[in-house]
Amino acid sequence: MPKKDKDIYDAIIIGAGIGGLVCGCYLAKAGMKVLILEQHFKPGGYCTSFKRKGFTFDAAAHSFGSYREGGNMRVIIKALDLDKRLRIKRYTPSDIIISPDYKITFGADVDKTIQDLRHAFPNEAKNIGNFIQYLTTSKPIDFAALRKKTFKDLLDHYFDDNRLKAMLSLPILGNGALPPSLISAFTGSKIFTEFILDGGYYPEGGMQALPNILVERFKELGGELRLSCLVKKIRVKNNEVQGIVLEKDGFVQSKYVVSSCDVRHTFFKLLGEKIVNENILHIIDKMIPSLSLFILYLGIDKTFKSLPIPGTNVWFMPHYSIENMYLSAKNREVTNLDAYMIRLSPDKKTLLAFTNAPFKNKKFWDNNKYKFVDALINRIEQHTIPGLSKHLVYKDAATPHTLYRYTLNYKGAAYGWASTPSQLFTPELRQTTQIKGLFLTGHWTTQTQGIPGVAYIGLDTAKLILKKEKIYSR
Amino acid sequence: MTTNNVEQEIISIISDVSGFDIEEITPDTNLANDLEIDSIKAIEITVAIEKLFKISIRDEDVPNITTVKQAIELVNTLINQKDANA
Repeated sequence: MPKKDKDIYDAIIIGAGIGGLVCGCYLAKAGMKVLILEQHFKPGGYCTSFKRKGFTFDAAAHSFGSYREGGNMRVIIKALDLDKRLRIKRYTPSDIIISPDYKITFGADVDKTIQDLRHAFPNEAKNIGNFIQYLTTSKPIDFAALRKKTFKDLLDHYFDDNRLKAMLSLPILGNGALPPSLISAFTGSKIFTEFILDGGYYPEGGMQALPNILVERFKELGGELRLSCLVKKIRVKNNEVQGIVLEKDGFVQSKYVVSSCDVRHTFFKLLGEKIVNENILHIIDKMIPSLSLFILYLGIDKTFKSLPIPGTNVWFMPHYSIENMYLSAKNREVTNLDAYMIRLSPDKKTLLAFTNAPFKNKKFWDNNKYKFVDALINRIEQHTIPGLSKHLVYKDAATPHTLYRYTLNYKGAAYGWASTPSQLFTPELRQTTQIKGLFLTGHWTTQTQGIPGVAYIGLDTAKLILKKEKIYSR
Repeated sequence: MTTNNVEQEIISIISDVSGFDIEEITPDTNLANDLEIDSIKAIEITVAIEKLFKISIRDEDVPNITTVKQAIELVNTLINQKDANA
């Protein structure tokens, strides 16, 4: 057998977010020679942490879901033999939703969650049970019935009470950046089941621990990761991938290329119009990305009475119109702040809060960033944490431009494409593409989002490649 | 489209979405157990079938599709209904 050339890879993955890392680990585990390239100086994509003034902050993702026995994250971590090496704790309650009239708690015990919901909305008691039963016991094929529906259709099918429907929709707006009338029922259901009903998991040391352990495992399996390494082109000949061209080091040959980065960037810049069918470029050009986020990072001097429980996502809604919250988020101004999520870190030293926000332009955020910081602190102090400002020793924020700068996600999109029924499962953006050897993964595939979603799709893309290579085993 | 073609086309779609070779897929193949069809792939297959055969699968029929054969039978029924109404 000829010796493998040092610089020829079986697969190159662009982007070391959770999707790219999981995909890389599984390909390397099957014996493939894999290179992962990441433009940022640390791995993780939206799942990273950073240190400032002695505080450790999670940059965007601040917990994850789907780690129950049999949950996708658990299956993936276990299959990579990392379940003993990564210490993951579940914080319960994972989420508390506070409205003008109610406080609903989502904890590890689903039966208790159902009881709490029934206590708040006795007229909906039976429907609450039916809804949660549908979400948690349906077979995969059953979800095909949701393909054209919105989450509003689903909620309307089960419930009458508009306040209950709004409260169940707030975490969907936060984690999916769309209101119930626009988000697909499939995505809304998955967010609700995988992030909320089975949420609250956190790796010891911060979210960065998750990508770090995946990188460690990837390298043990023979994989190579290059950070601060920008890909300039994906080279294609006769509609077949040849490799990639790096900004600094030139051409690197590979049989497969997996793009786990922004899809617009992949098709318009890395491939370009000479390679991609005009029709596909036109479709991508018309697609709408999800909204971005404004994320507030606060360091506190000590713990104090009004702080929330560490590791719990506290959602505050000043009214019940999620549709209006979405419209105000699309045109976010310092004067129209409404709903937000706030969370005390498990180490009890920092707070992270966020609200949905649009990309706008850099100048807008440069001019307004600190106005937003102070206005959001003010709101939090008013509604959820009295006395907060007295305890602040550090404050900063990430704007949609910050999210773009670190990840190159188009318009700082928090969750890839807006997950409307018409954009969900866009055939042109499936994991397999029309170019031989080119695969897509991550939240820009229109199939999924969030950490469990991209981890799952990363694994699935790896499986598709292994099936092509005839080395797939269950 | 003949019944035989319908079968071939459906198997081709399922092969494309699942990543399993056409040779590995027979009418008796169970979508979830044998081909690891998850909820995402179930939707992709349903949408691709509807688009190709220009049919609309009713919500109540969706849970009954567990094997390749059931998918083929359902599509044949819907095509016949469409032709009868044409």
